Amino acid sequence: MTMPTGYSRGLAYWPLALLALALLLPQLLGMFGFDFYVSFATRIMIMALLASSLNLLVGTGGMVSLGHAAFFGAGAYTVAILAREWGGTPATSALLSWPLAMLVGALLAAFIGAICLRTKGVYFIMSTLAFAQMLFYVFLSLKSYGGDDGMSLTQRSTLPGIDLGADVVFYYVVLALFAVALLLLGRLDRARFGKVLRGIKDNELRMESLGFAVFRFKLVAFILAGAMAGLAGALMGNLNNFVSPNMMHWEQSGVVLVMVILGGLGRLWGGLAGAAAMLLLEEILPNFLPHWQILLGVILLAVVFFAPRGLAGIFRA
Amino acid sequence: MSMLEISGLKKLFGGLVVTDNLDLSVAEGELHALIGPNGAGKTTLIAQISGSLAPDDGRIVFAGHEITRWPAYRRAQLGLSRSFQITSIFPSFTVLDNVALAIQARSGSSFRFWQPVKAESALYEAALEILARTGLDALGENPAAALGHGEHRQLELALALATQPKLLLLDEPMAGLGAEDSQRMVELIERLKSQYAILLVEHDMDAVFRLADRISVLMSGRIIASGSGEAIRSNAEVKLAYLGEEEIA
Repeated sequence: MTMPTGYSRGLAYWPLALLALALLLPQLLGMFGFDFYVSFATRIMIMALLASSLNLLVGTGGMVSLGHAAFFGAGAYTVAILAREWGGTPATSALLSWPLAMLVGALLAAFIGAICLRTKGVYFIMSTLAFAQMLFYVFLSLKSYGGDDGMSLTQRSTLPGIDLGADVVFYYVVLALFAVALLLLGRLDRARFGKVLRGIKDNELRMESLGFAVFRFKLVAFILAGAMAGLAGALMGNLNNFVSPNMMHWEQSGVVLVMVILGGLGRLWGGLAGAAAMLLLEEILPNFLPHWQILLGVILLAVVFFAPRGLAGIFRA
Repeated sequence: MSMLEISGLKKLFGGLVVTDNLDLSVAEGELHALIGPNGAGKTTLIAQISGSLAPDDGRIVFAGHEITRWPAYRRAQLGLSRSFQITSIFPSFTVLDNVALAIQARSGSSFRFWQPVKAESALYEAALEILARTGLDALGENPAAALGHGEHRQLELALALATQPKLLLLDEPMAGLGAEDSQRMVELIERLKSQYAILLVEHDMDAVFRLADRISVLMSGRIIASGSGEAIRSNAEVKLAYLGEEEIA
């Protein structure tokens, strides 16, 4: 018998085409004098990384978290605090501070997940939201780290032999990390772990009665997503050379959730599609409309009603 | 030897006794049917055996382990497999992937993040075999959501079989089936008999009397009679309490 692949041959090459475009993007933008947009493209990829990590929870595992920004902010503050306290030492090396940001995101997710994952539905949504807001207020009141003003970084993290301070270089580093993350997520989705997550989303009770320790699988997914969000936060702090409590505000969690729904729940490219669409619309619409958020709302409604599988779903049969 | 041994099981909902000092056993290879009118406590009993509800008192011993306080997934890992009265499958998976997922539950760790499931031929060979045994082999590639009711019931049973059970807990497998599908399900369960210990909860009396080695009658949370089909048919208490509402063949 033949195994279903879910992919038609013609579509198998477009990720490579997209990667080629991404590799050439800084040169293309340079040719037209749009160098500013290199950082904008970097921002899209960082938000896509964050949205993809949330998509693992919401889209694949059915865990609607409204507190995902907590891990994003925690990762950003990890890099910023390391730079503030131990500036000029190896602590500002990306080789140390970025993995540490992932570790902080993972540990925080392990703690929050161990509690919130015991609840379901609306209670899960509200408890994740509550934890993220707690963290938001903690950093809001931490005067030594800028409080509500946030905190500036004097420079980006360092890498041996690579100047992350150059926007184009930083773009390529983020591109590489995002590509690896997407590869891992794609493999995970088709591996046993991904099937279990999708099974839990479909029918948690049945998974339990088949012998799956549902809670453990959810917690591991939550920790993985937390680590990935922590990395996204570290990158965003680097990109802006600035971190603030707003990075972990529930509005940020909401924006990422909208990106996931817009891009396509449970779809590998959903995070990228959603992040790119949202940020591009935010960038373009204000030029034409003073009250552009209304149009953004209409577009979101249109996607929900006419393309319920999201933007990434449109390209799939 | 008993595969399942329940003794002194008790469950109260407030002041209401739903499981009343209940004893019940299923021997290896035996098909033990449990019947009883609505409200007798069948559902509550199944919930306690499968682990979704904790009893207030008593013991449940399964395959030599006391599992009274175990969570549902650990019981399943030990070989206690159940089907659901209301079909409980994975609608977004194909029929084949439904069964493959169930097999995955008892064949090694599922904390694997890299190797695609599709590359695990052993998993899919076992799944195809289960599909053949449950008469679903022609439907493997169909989305599970698109099946008819009779086929859903077959898939429900296929999932229960896929976990290499020692004991099958079948919760009204004929629920909602027409005469023809019902007949097919009875034949299916007949073929499973003696391969597994089976506890069958069922309303379809014809099926019960045809399949069961032993029948127990549950009434207000306690077993009021237990024995062969003949013994149950002729038991005056049972007739009065339960079978009176339905003439039996």
